[in-house]
Amino acid sequence: MLSSRFFLIMEKSEQNFCSEGCSDPSNLVSEDGKNMKSVVCQRCGSKVLCPGMAVFAEKQLFLPSLKKNIKNNNQSDGTFDGDTLTAHWLVDDMYTFENVGFTKDVGKIKYLICADCEIGPIGWHNLDDKKCFYIALDRVKHV
Amino acid sequence: MNSRCEIQRRPGGGGGFSGSPVTGSPAMGAQSRRRKMAPRPADYKLQIIIIGSRGVGKTSLMERFTDDTFCEACKSTVGVDFKIKTVELRGKKIRLQIWDTAGQERFNSITSAYYRGAKGIIVVYDITKQETFEDLPKWMKMIDKYASEDAELLLVGNKLDCEADRVIARQQAERFASRISGMRFCEASAKDNFNVDEIFLKLVDDILSKMPLEMPSRELSNSVLSLQPEPEVPPELPPPRMRCC
Repeated sequence: MLSSRFFLIMEKSEQNFCSEGCSDPSNLVSEDGKNMKSVVCQRCGSKVLCPGMAVFAEKQLFLPSLKKNIKNNNQSDGTFDGDTLTAHWLVDDMYTFENVGFTKDVGKIKYLICADCEIGPIGWHNLDDKKCFYIALDRVKHV
Repeated sequence: MNSRCEIQRRPGGGGGFSGSPVTGSPAMGAQSRRRKMAPRPADYKLQIIIIGSRGVGKTSLMERFTDDTFCEACKSTVGVDFKIKTVELRGKKIRLQIWDTAGQERFNSITSAYYRGAKGIIVVYDITKQETFEDLPKWMKMIDKYASEDAELLLVGNKLDCEADRVIARQQAERFASRISGMRFCEASAKDNFNVDEIFLKLVDDILSKMPLEMPSRELSNSVLSLQPEPEVPPELPPPRMRCC
């Protein structure tokens, strides 16, 4: 079935992410709570954040799944499945990002995507909270 | 003069126009003394909009890959609103906020808010489609009406990869651009990634040339369109849930 094939792909890619250290944010967070490494797109390497520009924040956010190949995710109910993610990089100004894309509004939410290859969502922004832009640790690579 | 637009492609420049990595940039502050390289805020923030008739390739000019990514879903469902991209030029780090107006091509549907803060406007037509060139005066009318007088203008003839189907001669577009003060012209292929990086770099270079020397970036950031849409901005609200396919 298509959907189970999709889940296999997701599990595999999650393992890849975790080998980058996401399962243990302590590798990535400096003493002052900032990102020690550059945050880059896990697909194309486009730089999202320079080291030291974001603070580590825990907040439960639902992000639709990353889809490497949308054709493999032919869900019958037409909805996105996704993950509730807790570990994020937080910045208070969108100009802190090196490169990032914003989707159009989905209700009060704008999802953040890679500015170059447009994979995503890699992050989350609520229009009611102008000072909070989140990038999920699980959805990016740290180099 | 127009051909100046075709800057030599940077060697090894597979990185799009997102800028080559800065090395050895001057340390900016003490807050990150433990790191070798201090985080460096942007020197400038500029808003750029891309306009032009439907199908001329505005969105492709913002993209590097087009297949098999989230954009497939985005395009039919949510859509990309704008992007922040960083370029390095003249030793300055410049954050671009790039708005692609695709999907709002009816001349009057792109509201003044998009134009107002734009420091650079890229007007795109398709070299293989006569009507997209004939639409240019209408786009110019919008620029005259809404955009700041000192906005830099760049006319881009896209789809240079379809040379065989060309119907708009290069000279024809050069003539058009030369009649508009301060408008530059170049041809590009978003598909082949020809001249795409250069378009943005050229435009930013022109914008910087016009700037007073040490203009505080604070002042510039005020010109940037805020995320909170003004009441008149129409973006049609997408359905509350993201849908796939």
